[in-house]
Amino acid sequence: MLKDITLGQYFPGNSLIHRLDPRTKILCIVIYITVIFCIKNFWGYGILAIFTALCIFSSKIPFSYVIKGVKPILVFVVFTAVFNLFLTNGRIIWSWGFLKITAEGVRLAIFMVLRLFFLVMGTSLLTLTTSPIALTDGIERLLSPFKKIGVPAHELAMMMTIALRFVPTLLEETEKIIKAQTARGADFESGNIINRAKAMIPILIPLFVGAFRRADDLAVAMECRCYRGGENRTRLKELKMTKTDVLGWVYVLVFAMLVFASNILL
Amino acid sequence: MIKLNDVNYTYMSGGPFEKAAVKNINLDLKAGEFIGLIGHTGSGKSTLIQLMAGLLKPDSGSITIDGQTLYEKNTNMRKLRFQIGYVMQYPEYQLFEETVFQDIAFGPNNMGLSEDEIKRRVHFAAKLVGLDDAVLEKSPFDLSGGQKRRAAIAGVVAMEPKLLILDEPTAGLDPGGRDEILCKIRDMHRRLGITVVLVSHSMEDIASLADRIVVMNQGEVAMQGTPHEIFKGAKDLKTMGLAVPQITEVCDRLREAGLPLPEGIYTVSAAKAELEKILNAKEKR
Ligand SMILES: Nc1ncnc2c1ncn2[C@@H]1O[C@H](COP(=O)(O)OP(=O)(O)OP(=O)(O)O)[C@@H](O)[C@H]1O
Ligand SMILES: [Mg+2]
Repeated sequence: MLKDITLGQYFPGNSLIHRLDPRTKILCIVIYITVIFCIKNFWGYGILAIFTALCIFSSKIPFSYVIKGVKPILVFVVFTAVFNLFLTNGRIIWSWGFLKITAEGVRLAIFMVLRLFFLVMGTSLLTLTTSPIALTDGIERLLSPFKKIGVPAHELAMMMTIALRFVPTLLEETEKIIKAQTARGADFESGNIINRAKAMIPILIPLFVGAFRRADDLAVAMECRCYRGGENRTRLKELKMTKTDVLGWVYVLVFAMLVFASNILL
Repeated sequence: MIKLNDVNYTYMSGGPFEKAAVKNINLDLKAGEFIGLIGHTGSGKSTLIQLMAGLLKPDSGSITIDGQTLYEKNTNMRKLRFQIGYVMQYPEYQLFEETVFQDIAFGPNNMGLSEDEIKRRVHFAAKLVGLDDAVLEKSPFDLSGGQKRRAAIAGVVAMEPKLLILDEPTAGLDPGGRDEILCKIRDMHRRLGITVVLVSHSMEDIASLADRIVVMNQGEVAMQGTPHEIFKGAKDLKTMGLAVPQITEVCDRLREAGLPLPEGIYTVSAAKAELEKILNAKEKR
């Protein structure tokens, strides 16, 4: 049940996109997101859709699987759309009581939905094609120039790795505890909000206790192996840029240029 | 009591990590039986018992408990679960209340029992698993590992279920504590006449407790029968990565060496009786 959430999950594979250097992917996503927010007309979204579809196609991940990632934020998307629809000032095209819809509102609502949709698609494509380890490695390397001004790049990456590492573990544990308390007759479904919030206590307390225990255990285990941060550490897999990365860069830059051209020309 | 009909269950179906954990299970457990469930790691034992406890919904097939089918429209799952006690692997992680008493009372409370009845049940359950009254007022997080385990099992026993399912209740306990808890489970089974399903990796425990053994292998029921029938097939068990009780192993070796011992001996006392028979016969000659 909890594991059905695909947002942020890794989908192992060996496609073109999987083989890209994580640094390339992270920077490309940054460009991708920037571009999304710069799009000014529907032509831009058309280009965006084609670009995204091509990326998904070349990642060899089933399209339905990527779409599933959007599900958890659907409520959020609907909210945004409704707010934009009703609360934008402009030329009124429909009104009922104090509710009014403006032409600008419709346009903005559609833009917002598209933006959020592609934002999530793009970022979930990043996490789907990049293992958490590679992702944090990439972030560490990207941040390492800032070490000079005191950014603890290695420690940040380490913390992220650990956090990501424990997401599935905690999900699994949550599921186990839910099962155990359900078997003891806990009722999570009925009653008002207060009762439901109270019903979470038998799940949350064991979960927190477990998380602290795990954190303690991990700290001891790291200490036992004399773990001492990033200085002079070598790594098993050195990141390397290849021809594929050049291809990726060209692809993304062409995409960005097309969008900007469409903004100006169309 | 509980009947499984062609039950299938797959984890994360559709995704890249799809895993068929339980396949085409047909089982019929009678009321008052003590079932031992064994199988190699990952063979689907925990999945199977969670299906029985109504905690997972089968992908196909049906599970019927006392005539009521699980997850059917007019089945009240919550009411039905009160009749099924499920003790998960490492149940101490389910403890959450301020005191042990309150934690054991969580189940009975959910059942909507009266104050007096809850009190009676908590004391009954605590005594049954071997917890002193003094412990009841402590925080469950201040107990030792073994005491936590007992408190957690008591929390399930206090619901007085008709079907008690235990997933390796003795994993990680000291030998003394292990024997004691198993002894209490047997007592409970005898005194209350409840149906028990026990998952264990210890063939000795299963051999000494179970009326019937179900062997799982790669998600399917590979064998089922009395301990005698199961441990006769030592070879089959070994191909599934399982062992037989040590005494069975000893007797099998002795038979290979030429002693006229029957197959499928699984208790020390039975082995002793057979060996004495042989020795007596020799003396007479
Ligand atoms: N929550 C889950 N999500 C995905 N796969 C799972 C999950 N739980 C179990 N599995 C898989 O299902 C299979 C059966 O697991 P199960 O826990 O039922 O085995 P088991 O017989 O209880 O093993 P053990 O003796 O180690 O407890 C395993 O291959 C396991 O990897
Ligand atoms: Mg198990």
